[in-house]
Amino acid sequence: MAIKYSEKVIEHFKNPHNVGELTEPAGFATEGSPACGDQLSVYLDIEEGTHVIKDIKFQSYGCASNIATASIITDMAKGKTLEEAKELTWKQAAEELGGLPPVKMHCSVLAVDALRSAIKNYEETHLGKQFDDSLSKSNVEKELEKIIYGKVGVDILTLKLVKYVGVDNENNIIIDLEMDEDDKFLDDVKKEIREHLAQFEKANKIEINLV
Amino acid sequence: MNKNQVYLDACKTTRMDPKVFAAMKPYFLEKYWFPGDFTNIGNEIADKLSESQEKIAKTLNAEAEEIIFTNGGTDGNNIAIKGMMYANKEKGKHFITSRISHPSVLTVFKALEEEGYKGTYISADEDGYLDLEELQDSIRQDTTLVALTHINHTLGTVQKIDEIGKILQASDHKINLFLDSCEAYTKIPIDVKKQNIDAISISGHKFNGPKGTGILYLKKGTEVERTQHGIVRMHSLKPGVVNVPGIVGITKAAELIYEDFEAHVKQLRKLQNQLYEGIKSKIDDIRLNGPRLGERSPAHLNVSFMAAEGEAIMVMLNFADVHVETGSACSSEDLKADYIMMNTGRTFEESHGSVRFTLDKFVTEKQINRTIDSLDKTITELRRRSPLSKKK
Repeated sequence: MAIKYSEKVIEHFKNPHNVGELTEPAGFATEGSPACGDQLSVYLDIEEGTHVIKDIKFQSYGCASNIATASIITDMAKGKTLEEAKELTWKQAAEELGGLPPVKMHCSVLAVDALRSAIKNYEETHLGKQFDDSLSKSNVEKELEKIIYGKVGVDILTLKLVKYVGVDNENNIIIDLEMDEDDKFLDDVKKEIREHLAQFEKANKIEINLV
Repeated sequence: MNKNQVYLDACKTTRMDPKVFAAMKPYFLEKYWFPGDFTNIGNEIADKLSESQEKIAKTLNAEAEEIIFTNGGTDGNNIAIKGMMYANKEKGKHFITSRISHPSVLTVFKALEEEGYKGTYISADEDGYLDLEELQDSIRQDTTLVALTHINHTLGTVQKIDEIGKILQASDHKINLFLDSCEAYTKIPIDVKKQNIDAISISGHKFNGPKGTGILYLKKGTEVERTQHGIVRMHSLKPGVVNVPGIVGITKAAELIYEDFEAHVKQLRKLQNQLYEGIKSKIDDIRLNGPRLGERSPAHLNVSFMAAEGEAIMVMLNFADVHVETGSACSSEDLKADYIMMNTGRTFEESHGSVRFTLDKFVTEKQINRTIDSLDKTITELRRRSPLSKKK
């Protein structure tokens, strides 16, 4: 069957909302990279005191659904408080667009991820909050939650494709994956895991085993 | 048909020439018979098929009896590659192909590897030219077949078949040379005798002929084991029903181009040049993928637009009813970057932003101008949205 975009995805790709940048954003983040094929930057203007998102802009290097999900998530976040915006999920963003093809669901994750990172950036720089980004099993799991299995459009943790996550004494990350060797999405999942875990600078090596 | 539509994806398929359809029509509705002996209706079809073989043979400098009609490029690849490997299995089970061969060649070899055959996959340089020293060094005593894609479908590279033929001729044992010429036929001259080619597979729908038709050239005396079985009406390697209208159609399609082959190629080159010069004059920060114009296939252009992503370019051009292909991972069903771009030293960004434009005889100068205009607007808009473009 052909992969199709919903009318709403097409509409948001044709005429995306909130494209651009803010010169002095209160919060800012970039997720993805040209090597991944998609990169998204989110800029936030936040009202002090109420912590309401007054303005939000994005810039996207990516496919049609990447631009459409960035457009919808910025629409959804605008006018919300930071706490409300943090609760937005990639599933909600995809639903709001009338659904996304499973192979494109990762775009929705990237959009939510960039939004949350921009909020986190604001909290760090303006509210003095500190986050634990250290190399730990739970932080590795948080990253794995962002990796979508393109065949069904759901993350690999929810699907229980990840059988084991561990960080050993030498800071090696060990991941056991339950996937077939000839699964056509295996290379993509492995690549995504490595890209997402690259942020742990202390990690020695990443070992991905098929079980 | 939408007259405003611009279809620059001829490497995928082409619109059938109405003259081809007209030639085929009587063979569906009136002359629906099979070839046969003794009766006038059977003889008439048999004569038409012989005439078709002769006409196709001329375009390749082959003999009529060396032409087999197939169901398409993939069918021909399967019949020839498997058949030649099986026929020579006592002499050796080693083949040579390349990392940038077309999937319809690579998948056949993958199946053969599962049966115990062994292969060497030679590499290509950044313009897509195969490493001929590596080819020479890969030849073993048990090598029986070299199977290559004649014109690369992603980069438009025309492989140096004359040199490859000479390398194989100089070997101390016979090695068959098979070419998947689906992109090459009707784009560059092919002379099977001069170029020492043993087998060629061609697809009809790539040059305004009917879908489901193909040509397999097989040099007289080449040993090929049968992989299909049934009643033989024309050739033992392709048993079963004879697609008479299809054969009439593919022959007519070839005839229409080869009646003035040079003018056809000249027109393609003119359009190709117009497109590339137009893109260069309007859009900055681009990369040409594959060899320079004049050297590459006349029907083929591949350009990467930096800071813009290929799937988005393709979808936005689609809104303007301009149709192209991209090497972006985002448009592939398994999210992988194009294997040819990756195997010829491109960066991910170059691959993700690559757009392929392929031409046929129905493309007009006006359509090329419309494409350049739509492309200019598309790239400008996507770069406006892109976080990468501000780095400049």
